[in-house]
Amino acid sequence: MYYNTKLDFLKELGNIGTGHATTALSQMLKGELLRIEVPNVQLLSFNEAVAFVGGLEQVVVGIFVVVSGDVKGHMAFILPLGSAKTLVELLTNESCQELDEMALSALQELGNIMITSYLNALAKLSNATLLPSVPGIAVDMAGAIWQSVLAGAEVVNMATLIRTEFFTMEKAIQGDIIFLPDEEDFQKLAHSLGLEEI
Amino acid sequence: MVELFVNLGQIHSLKSKGILTTIGLGSCVGVTLYDSVVKVGVMGHIFLPKRRGSDNSAAAAPGKYADTGIPAMVKEALNLGAQKSRLQAKVAGGANLFPNLHLDAISIGEQNIIAITKHLDNYKIPILGRDILGNHGRKMRLTVENGIVTVTAIGKEPIQI
Repeated sequence: MYYNTKLDFLKELGNIGTGHATTALSQMLKGELLRIEVPNVQLLSFNEAVAFVGGLEQVVVGIFVVVSGDVKGHMAFILPLGSAKTLVELLTNESCQELDEMALSALQELGNIMITSYLNALAKLSNATLLPSVPGIAVDMAGAIWQSVLAGAEVVNMATLIRTEFFTMEKAIQGDIIFLPDEEDFQKLAHSLGLEEI
Repeated sequence: MVELFVNLGQIHSLKSKGILTTIGLGSCVGVTLYDSVVKVGVMGHIFLPKRRGSDNSAAAAPGKYADTGIPAMVKEALNLGAQKSRLQAKVAGGANLFPNLHLDAISIGEQNIIAITKHLDNYKIPILGRDILGNHGRKMRLTVENGIVTVTAIGKEPIQI
């Protein structure tokens, strides 16, 4: 039961957070509808966490934020390269062949808005403060980005990952929002939401 | 030809022939040890500089950390017939993919490089090739037959180190 309760709770967090994040995205994309998959919440061993992002050599755009405040943790927003370019085209109304400075800056801001929306939703729900850092952005091999996120979060044993995938209805855009809460703070968050032992 | 993939935190070795490959080095560091006389190659994919007290699994996976990984790599090379005095190291990775975050005065990647250099130095193993630091990810391959190490990055020509 312990396990189910915790996973259910995390799924709900993922749902609420991603709901707000994708609403923000949808508004920026002038109402383009987004479909959100049911959040995939997993407690992974180190080895499983390492293999969590498939296609280690695939080029992706990764936006990374450190969360401070009452609940500390790390958030990543990961997009395949093609999806990132399509997003930039929708945001700028110009064709995007390569991700130049302007395009990266647009994506960084977009990631920032989505992540902030996600955290704001959690903060409202729990009365806790969750403050995002300035976002970092990288275009690189998925393995290198994911590995750097795990190292930044100092995941060495087990990791709780809340991953939500979303798709746009019209354009071929997909992405992942991943939240890695620090274990201790996460228990505090659960407490503040009225969940006793999880 | 055998190609063995070395995942994050792992150490693998080959003798005489085959290729050792590690993909997705960001702040992580790929380290190879090679003895050209007996053609023994060992590759590690090191995650953090120092073992955390909270990680009780390091005995099972010493390759996660520089302070446990380098001794484990040397031991593996010696087990396969290499001689310590002939071992040569090459190092790739230790990048900082998110430089604008300025989280630590010294990035995790650089801390990894410093720790690995120190531990190799303890064994008096020379580092013959390096492609380190910077802001991009890398892939590293060691061809065990001849000891050649190549490093690949997105949008760049592969280089030999």
